[in-house]
Amino acid sequence: MSSNWAAEAAAVFAKDWRCELRTRHAVATLALFAVTTLVVASLVLGPVGNEPARAAQIVPVLVWLILLFAAASGLPRAFVHEEESRTAIALRLAGRPSAVFAGKLAHVVTLVAALEAIVAPLAVVLFDLRVADGFAFAAALGAGGLAIAAATTLLPAIVAQGRGASTLFAVIALPVLLPALALAVAASRAALVGIAGGDELTLLLLYDGAVVVAGFLLFPAIWNP
Amino acid sequence: MTPAELEFAGLCRRFGRLRVLVDAGGAVASGGVLSVRGPNGCGKSTLLRCLAGLLSADKGTIRARIDGRELDGDERRARVGYLAPDVAFYDELSGHENLAFVARLRGIAPERGELLAERLGLPGERAWHAMSSGMRQRLRWAFALLDEPKLLLLDEPFQNLDAAGEAASRALLEERLAAGALAVVASPSHVDLPRVTGELQLGG
Repeated sequence: MSSNWAAEAAAVFAKDWRCELRTRHAVATLALFAVTTLVVASLVLGPVGNEPARAAQIVPVLVWLILLFAAASGLPRAFVHEEESRTAIALRLAGRPSAVFAGKLAHVVTLVAALEAIVAPLAVVLFDLRVADGFAFAAALGAGGLAIAAATTLLPAIVAQGRGASTLFAVIALPVLLPALALAVAASRAALVGIAGGDELTLLLLYDGAVVVAGFLLFPAIWNP
Repeated sequence: MTPAELEFAGLCRRFGRLRVLVDAGGAVASGGVLSVRGPNGCGKSTLLRCLAGLLSADKGTIRARIDGRELDGDERRARVGYLAPDVAFYDELSGHENLAFVARLRGIAPERGELLAERLGLPGERAWHAMSSGMRQRLRWAFALLDEPKLLLLDEPFQNLDAAGEAASRALLEERLAAGALAVVASPSHVDLPRVTGELQLGG
């Protein structure tokens, strides 16, 4: 019997979720950071949704910073943990690099989506937000979430085999994630107040495509000697 | 046609300024075992990693052929049965689950892992983190043999095994060799091995 690419990617995805559900390491880290920060911010700022202009200035920045830092604190372990726990050797021998990357990326995308599913409704309730264009807001969350997921999958893979992986990740993540974050904030702000944010969303989707394609092209060279 | 052949020559590998592997060479064919020996730090594990395609050599050539077809580095990685002390599995998964995961990646029926675990006396329901060092070694054996490989690279294969574990793994090794596989076996001291057709002494 020979494996096919999709089955390999699905195996990596299922394995990562099975391990995650047994330890809840990433889920606990992400949720704790996100919910705590959001609740504290809402206590300090109050129901800013009553002042739409002020809410549009503050809330998108806050939400994306929370998503970014929650993701950065919980997600970069995807490949770093494989190297540190020495499970990467068996994974290298058993799986095709692109299938391993696809499985890992799918796992991180679903983790980020789950995080957004908690953070976005909670922000709407806690800040008493009125979202003018719900579809555009969801699209901004989806595209921005994919950007964070793709970058936090690829970049740790690059640094995982080096020393000081966490420090290196922080250094290279800044320039890579900054444009995505700025676009996500702009697209979310536009959706919140109901003005056209199509350009930002298009750029964000292009960014997503570029990072995902770069990931599939770079990963085999990073993963194998 | 010989089912499997492995030849390597002039292999060198440095880590920074440290020359770990210097001009290593050897050859082994189907049914045979190349015994690699030498003191700690002489490059045995590095040699096996290079042969497995897990590490690139700075210099030298590796030629592996299965059924007359030469394998490149990617194919070697996919076709090799590799056992080494630094191979670890997922703490959160049981022995059976770890083997089933590898089986899914390699497109093998998961029952093959369960069969190997049974033959090796491995308690497959136990999680990797709860296994003794001997049980972990049995799981490494099952991993290495899962795909019925024709190229076996075994780094200290009998360490931590009790008498029953060693007997089971030796029987499985003998079966693979009889089926046309070849093996490169590294150990720091003398180990009785079947079908030794060549020896390579490193660092001495």
